[in-house]
Amino acid sequence: MVTEEEIERVSKLMKIDVDDHKEYVDKVQSMINYFDILDSAGVESEEITMHEIPVSSLREDEYIPYNEKLIEKLNNYKGTYVRAPKMS
Amino acid sequence: MNLKISALEYVQQVQNGNISAEDFIAKTLEQINKVDKKLHAFLSINDDAINQARIIDKKIKSGDKVGSCFGMPISIKDNMCIKGSKTTCGSKMLENFIAPYDATVVSKLKQQDAIFIGKVNLDEFAMGLTTEFSAFGPSKNPWNPEFVPGGSSGGSAVSVSAFECSMSLGSDTGGSVRNPASFCSVVGYKPTYGLISRYGLISYANSIEQIGPLTRTVKDTAFMLNMISGLDPNDNTTINDKNGDYLSGIDLGIDGKKIGIIKDMMADGTDPAVLSATNDAIAKLEGLGAICEEISIDMVKYSVAAYYTITATEAGSNLARYDNIRYGYDFPVEGYEFNSYISKARKNFGPEVIRRMIIGGFVPSAGHAGKYFLKAMKVKSKLTKEIDAAFKKFDFLIAPTVPILPFKLGEKINDPVALFLIDINTVTANLTGKPAISIPFSISNGLPIGIQLFANSMNDKSLLQAAYALEQTVKLPEVPI
Amino acid sequence: MTKIGLEIHCQLTNLKSKLFCSCKANYREFKINENICPICMGLPGSLPRLNQEAVKKATLIAMALNCTTPNKIAFFRKNYFYPDLPKNFQITQLNIYGDTSIGGAGSIMVGDKKINITRIQLEEDPGRLIYEGSSTKNQITLVDYNRAGTPLVEIVTEPDFENPKHVREFLNILSDLLENLGVSDPSLDGAMRADANVSIEGGKKVEVKNIGSFHDLEKAVHFEITRQNSLHDRDIAIIQETRHWDDKRKITISSRSKEEDLDYRYFLEGDIPWITIDPEIQEKLKLEMPESVSSKKERYISKYNIPPQVADVLSSDKFYSELFDKSHTESNAKEIANIITTDLMGLVDTREKREESKITATHLRDLADSIQSEKISRISAKNALHEILKTGKSVADVISELDLGTVSNESELSEIIKDVITSEPEAVEQAKSNPQTINYLVGKIMQKTKGKADPKLSLDLLKKQLDDS
Repeated sequence: MVTEEEIERVSKLMKIDVDDHKEYVDKVQSMINYFDILDSAGVESEEITMHEIPVSSLREDEYIPYNEKLIEKLNNYKGTYVRAPKMS
Repeated sequence: MNLKISALEYVQQVQNGNISAEDFIAKTLEQINKVDKKLHAFLSINDDAINQARIIDKKIKSGDKVGSCFGMPISIKDNMCIKGSKTTCGSKMLENFIAPYDATVVSKLKQQDAIFIGKVNLDEFAMGLTTEFSAFGPSKNPWNPEFVPGGSSGGSAVSVSAFECSMSLGSDTGGSVRNPASFCSVVGYKPTYGLISRYGLISYANSIEQIGPLTRTVKDTAFMLNMISGLDPNDNTTINDKNGDYLSGIDLGIDGKKIGIIKDMMADGTDPAVLSATNDAIAKLEGLGAICEEISIDMVKYSVAAYYTITATEAGSNLARYDNIRYGYDFPVEGYEFNSYISKARKNFGPEVIRRMIIGGFVPSAGHAGKYFLKAMKVKSKLTKEIDAAFKKFDFLIAPTVPILPFKLGEKINDPVALFLIDINTVTANLTGKPAISIPFSISNGLPIGIQLFANSMNDKSLLQAAYALEQTVKLPEVPI
Repeated sequence: MTKIGLEIHCQLTNLKSKLFCSCKANYREFKINENICPICMGLPGSLPRLNQEAVKKATLIAMALNCTTPNKIAFFRKNYFYPDLPKNFQITQLNIYGDTSIGGAGSIMVGDKKINITRIQLEEDPGRLIYEGSSTKNQITLVDYNRAGTPLVEIVTEPDFENPKHVREFLNILSDLLENLGVSDPSLDGAMRADANVSIEGGKKVEVKNIGSFHDLEKAVHFEITRQNSLHDRDIAIIQETRHWDDKRKITISSRSKEEDLDYRYFLEGDIPWITIDPEIQEKLKLEMPESVSSKKERYISKYNIPPQVADVLSSDKFYSELFDKSHTESNAKEIANIITTDLMGLVDTREKREESKITATHLRDLADSIQSEKISRISAKNALHEILKTGKSVADVISELDLGTVSNESELSEIIKDVITSEPEAVEQAKSNPQTINYLVGKIMQKTKGKADPKLSLDLLKKQLDDS
């Protein structure tokens, strides 16, 4: 169960401004409520694993310059630094 | 000139000198002109296509080595990078983003002299099942334009089905290649996780998604797989398929193969027409010598909840980089404070993406991760164990691709949970990393039904053999465009 | 009782490339935003490519700190928004699904106190921010991503330190250790940074961040202890919080409390599989590990009788200890150690000078031999060093060219001594009556011979002449 306050808090965490609150709240609540079904899956003892690869298959340590002027292709390029808003 | 040929037939015709790449591209562009205003598969068209075709024709004439594609038109879902081209992900956030590099699959196809005819439509950032969540308008089903084409690779499926290209590449996170393939009556393939490099695919849920081909025939899919699969140093999650040739022996047949019928994917809620088509397919496979038997996979009923929990978490993280600071749309930073700038800039996401990101911030957060995210990961582990156990008994598994028929545009867009459940037959393959394919099987009241086959990891070659065998048992009507 | 714990971030500056891409690991020589690529900029569709050598070097660090090293490591995402973070998440390590960080529990001795290491993790450095604009209205943040993706090893200690001096000692030992391992050059600007956590009398823990250098760390910790003690004395509760070090005012300030708690939503990094590090590979790394600083020091003291202070200085300097180990034999070890620590280190004190110096192990050996065989005096040896450093000429050549050979010709010396006696009548009288003061005259003889006079012979001849006169 997720409350409207929680949704507000999470929106701030995810840096999304949600103005028309009620619309999102209902839909997100129903979506998250559906996930309650996971409680009856009985999977507490399961382990979490992932595909494995040996350290020897990793990338060799080599300096290879990226020879295209990448910074010029991106937004907010006005000289050298990337410009960002001021920090509070 | 006939556009209604498979990719392999095209290659043969060009090699025989019956058609030229330039003529075919020109005809294709005409077709796009004719149908795409209505169907809206394409977000952008390559206006240099004819020139590129001319160059390839020259190469052919002069006897130079030509790549396997011989200039055939291929459409690419707009979440894959083509250097110098706009790559929008169907979103206003990336409306003007020009990719500075090629995705690996794009480089590989370029080397084979493919021509990228255009970028095709998708649900925004690949989140959706109907392509209705694209920021640039939905695509329409060529079988009946009042109906959804499926999603999120709707544009891919439409462009292949409506002869606007020879083949397409889409991406499949929870069924996004197989679902629209089923709805549009084309072949849609999701490979073993790691078989095709994701370098250049703009991530939605990176631990389970794969690029997959949409084609008119199973052989075309094998042809595509030959060109784009394999280990890629740019993607640490790719696996070595030892350069298998997916075309050779594709007609081996399925005599003696054991096929498990997934009961949980044919339960209540499955449309009777879909059920009947599936039983039909099973009968046909038995006729070819396969042994079919029911199997129950318990975790399937939790798979949708697990899928959406995991993908929302990954999406929330993968989409965090879109803060409009390094790239994006024109919105100067002067006068703003960091948090308020970013929150405002990110309002350009569509409502479904925003919903998923809110979920994605909630389910892994401290205090909730145990109940949602960790449980979902454990369901994923257990589901994988159950599927692995099934493959000890069976060579393949079968189920309908989608439990329902295609539905009208706007019909389900306001009920997110109803929309979720359409994925119930497809997410298992993504969560477990197994290969799965949707084969067009029948038409019911003018609407396509696809049948899905699964195989164990790394068994993509034999999966294509089974798919080919099933495909050969039906002759479908032509799409009415 | 005061408890201090540290979180130290060390860049692996000796690597050639960044942690997840092939841009240069040492970003310092580049112009703004010219050491970047789609991966470290987190461009859409880019994927991380883990650096094999980084994993190995981080494992070495873990081993050198006596940490457990698991056979399987994993990476996680730490999600938060900041302009220096191109993906708005950092790829780092955690131990939430078992022990998957590159180093587990370990320890190191600082003097006679054992400092426990909690864990070691491998992660990427963010970019760098500077601020432009004077008024708060027109201020802009400027970002340079050259550093983004640089490989970092984070070392987390238990709160085992009791005072700032102790902390400083540890940091010196750690710097030497890392330099000695060949993984990092701690003298590079920003190569090592640390945060601290401080608590007193078993009270609440306060984190102190934004500390620019190790020098500042000592100050910051000292300030924080004083601040907490002062609150305690006035019966005011110490709040558990994060404070940052204000370098201008030399105080710690409470970081603005955010309405949203910082929730990092940690989960596995799906783009990097778990990496297995076989026991065989770990064994091989262990065998190839350079001798530790403490082991060298032990060896110098016990095997060559080198005085502990000298051994301390010599063993903690990678460049010189290597030079020493190449040049010494059992007999001249003490002498060479002396030459290095007394004269050489002072003359060749910067990185540039070290890179340009032409001194070799052979030089040192020949020099030591010349001193021990009394061919030249120690003062002459020092002069010879200057020349050798500049030109690289052999010791023999330098001795002859600069005429540094010990003056041990009796008649030559006698003449010089006669001159000295004649020109210093008062000193002579003093020496005759008080033999202790003879050294003044010896000094004059040395002066006249530019330090080349054989000291023993000079003293004998001087005494004789004084007796005779």
